[in-house]
Amino acid sequence: MDYVILSMILLAIGIYGLLTKHHLLKVLISVELIATAASMNFVLIASSLNKALGEAFLILAFSTDTCVTAVVLALLVIASKKYGTCDIRKLAKLEQRETIEGEEKSNNEISEDDV
Amino acid sequence: MILELLAVGLVVSAFLAVYLDDAVYSVTSLAGTLILVAILYSLNDATFVAVFQLAIGVGTLAVLFLSSEMLSEKPSGKKPLKNAFLAIAVALLLSIPPIFLSVGTIPTNVSSEVLFPEALWDLRAIDVVLQGLVIMTVASGIAIVLYEKKEGKS
Repeated sequence: MDYVILSMILLAIGIYGLLTKHHLLKVLISVELIATAASMNFVLIASSLNKALGEAFLILAFSTDTCVTAVVLALLVIASKKYGTCDIRKLAKLEQRETIEGEEKSNNEISEDDV
Repeated sequence: MILELLAVGLVVSAFLAVYLDDAVYSVTSLAGTLILVAILYSLNDATFVAVFQLAIGVGTLAVLFLSSEMLSEKPSGKKPLKNAFLAIAVALLLSIPPIFLSVGTIPTNVSSEVLFPEALWDLRAIDVVLQGLVIMTVASGIAIVLYEKKEGKS
């Protein structure tokens, strides 16, 4: 069995999830799958070459992966509390609307000052 | 044979983790994926990494279960059972290439004197110490934020 192809397929599934799903939790799961694919490639090639350095390096990758998970989960909680949704498309629209409203507000304030 | 079965299970559970709409089922499939990856590591003589994978996976999955239960809304319409079977069939098809194809040969007779504890402490000691420092900083930062929040409330 070829582990490189196995990790490539896991990577492809993760990219498919990133491109097609719009829920933040699904995006996080897809990122987890991509990270798992990368680390699996690393570990299995290192172990087949009897190189322990690759396995030791993986611990750094695991901690980075955990940090990414923590950041995305924090975003998920903030988005859910502030906007009441975790859909990326809706969040993008809300962000655009807020930006436009903010610009209009600042323009109105400037024109009132001029008067 | 065990490795091939593990690969099939890995691809199927990973695909279902992405495909399923219900967040709880999706996280359950991800748990299956992480457990199968840890078993694959331990079968390939990477026991330390398997233990780390399990430990990190358990923490991640616990948080994911909580957040999926709390924050995600249930899907309104149920997907028909036919779609689930179709997804499993696609995943089974995807799991065929790693079993029967090969992109190149990895030399298996390369030996190295370096053992895992030596590699961890002699070659990557700075990384390990810095990681510990980062984790300590994050933990103390969270503790300070929580303390200030508590002080602000009272």
